[in-house]
Amino acid sequence: MKDIKKLNREKGFSTLFLIFLLILTCGIFMSLKIKIDNIFRKKIPGSSIIYIPSGKYLKFASFGNSSLLADLVYLWAIQYYSDYSIADRFKYLDHIFSIINELDPRYLDPYEVGAVIAAYEAGDLDLTLKILDKGLEKNPEQWIFPYLAGHYVQMIKKDYKLARAYYEKTMNIEGAPPHTRHLYADAAFKSMDYQTALQTWLEIYKTAEEERIKKIASNHIYQVKAAVDIQRIKGAIEKFKERYSRNPMDLSQLVRTGFLDSLPKDLDGKEYLYDSRTGEVKPPSIPWKR
Amino acid sequence: MKIRAIALNTFKEAIRDRILYLLLFFAAVCIIFSRLLALLTVGDRVKIIKDVGLSSLSIFGALMAILIGTGLVYKEIDKKTIYTIISKPIHRYQFLLGKFFGLVLTLFIMLLLMSFIFLALVFFHTFKIEWEMLIAILFIFVELCLITSVALLFSCFSTPILSSIFSLAFYLIGHTAWGLETLIKKVKPGFGKTLAQVLYHFLPDLENFNFKTEIVHHLSIPSEVFLFSILYGIFYTLFILALAILVFRKRDFI
Repeated sequence: MKDIKKLNREKGFSTLFLIFLLILTCGIFMSLKIKIDNIFRKKIPGSSIIYIPSGKYLKFASFGNSSLLADLVYLWAIQYYSDYSIADRFKYLDHIFSIINELDPRYLDPYEVGAVIAAYEAGDLDLTLKILDKGLEKNPEQWIFPYLAGHYVQMIKKDYKLARAYYEKTMNIEGAPPHTRHLYADAAFKSMDYQTALQTWLEIYKTAEEERIKKIASNHIYQVKAAVDIQRIKGAIEKFKERYSRNPMDLSQLVRTGFLDSLPKDLDGKEYLYDSRTGEVKPPSIPWKR
Repeated sequence: MKIRAIALNTFKEAIRDRILYLLLFFAAVCIIFSRLLALLTVGDRVKIIKDVGLSSLSIFGALMAILIGTGLVYKEIDKKTIYTIISKPIHRYQFLLGKFFGLVLTLFIMLLLMSFIFLALVFFHTFKIEWEMLIAILFIFVELCLITSVALLFSCFSTPILSSIFSLAFYLIGHTAWGLETLIKKVKPGFGKTLAQVLYHFLPDLENFNFKTEIVHHLSIPSEVFLFSILYGIFYTLFILALAILVFRKRDFI
């Protein structure tokens, strides 16, 4: 009888202990959950986006395997866009690459490949820039995205002002290749911002360690200076023509008549070539053959 | 000692289960198949191999835990072997903990085998052993321990089919519960919001053990996250095991 009572008491205690353990562990794991949520964890930008544009819970439905899902969609996309028999395959290009980027924003290849497909296959430069801009937004430390955007804008759209802005962004990111400054200066020159172009090439010239780079910078400085000088001379010729209804006989006439203070010379001290019949002014040397 | 004896016995029983080898075979096929998938990509091939490999470890490990764990106690009751065990001087909690550790040991060996294949494949491509992958694998193991305890809990009072469905639901809820955070932000203060908050903190958050993406992308993870995530896994498992023992103690085998 005593043994049964003892056994029942022991059973009661162990049940109480189990209930206590349940409450205790529940309290601990809930407070641990709060603690984990409060720790700043370098989250992947964009990972909070649950809904993809189609409205499906693709990331949500990946059950923690969103990277794998991104890989699969990417692999499928590559095969799909390589099939030239599908005429309207570029219709959902934006949508498909958005899904991949949302599923795994740190996956860099899809941005680059998506941009190539949009630029050269679909001929949609706006989409190219959209993909690359998104790549930069999600991965601000990656210089490759503004660099590629600058390249596409310069090569396809010939919008040197925009290209310059992209190269400027690239230069501000750590690890960007040094030649981005060359591209930036060249884009500034092509967008006729001679002041910035000259300043940048001078900086490149001063900071360059390699003789080859110094030579390249020097040739560009020659080119920019020649462009500035020729622009000035041509302005004076125009004014001369307005007054005398003819081209000047030679460039020194512009100084004599007061249209120019002095006759500019090229970087090597040579005079600019002038054709009095056409009024055309040219530099005496080709910058790359100096 | 008694727990160890039951654990070893459970381990011997589990490794005889054909379903285990079937899952191991499919896991190995999936990991090796990642090599073929990687051939289709443009860019980083190793990334594909790592993603497919780690996800295979996680998914097939969870399937092993669920499919074997849910039958552990039920089989003993169904085959009436439970009578011989509980008639011995052994507590029911010892029986249950033995079953748990036995399956955890089985899963550990299986995970070890799958990880070896996976890491060898990664090594074949990068020619270096990526030790940081082990962090992701360690947390997959912590997750599997928790799933095992859940499978064991359901196995105490339900049939294997129902237990598998419940455990699978636990796995799915565990990987989607973080979505409640968005709901909490959207819901106006009141009962609904409080309920969502309680659920958010109470429901298992298996994403706490998911470091796959961060590891593959070489992102820095604060050390406290590792520590608290491991503790979270341990205490949640303890909670489920305590619940399982409580249920199993009340169970009549007549």
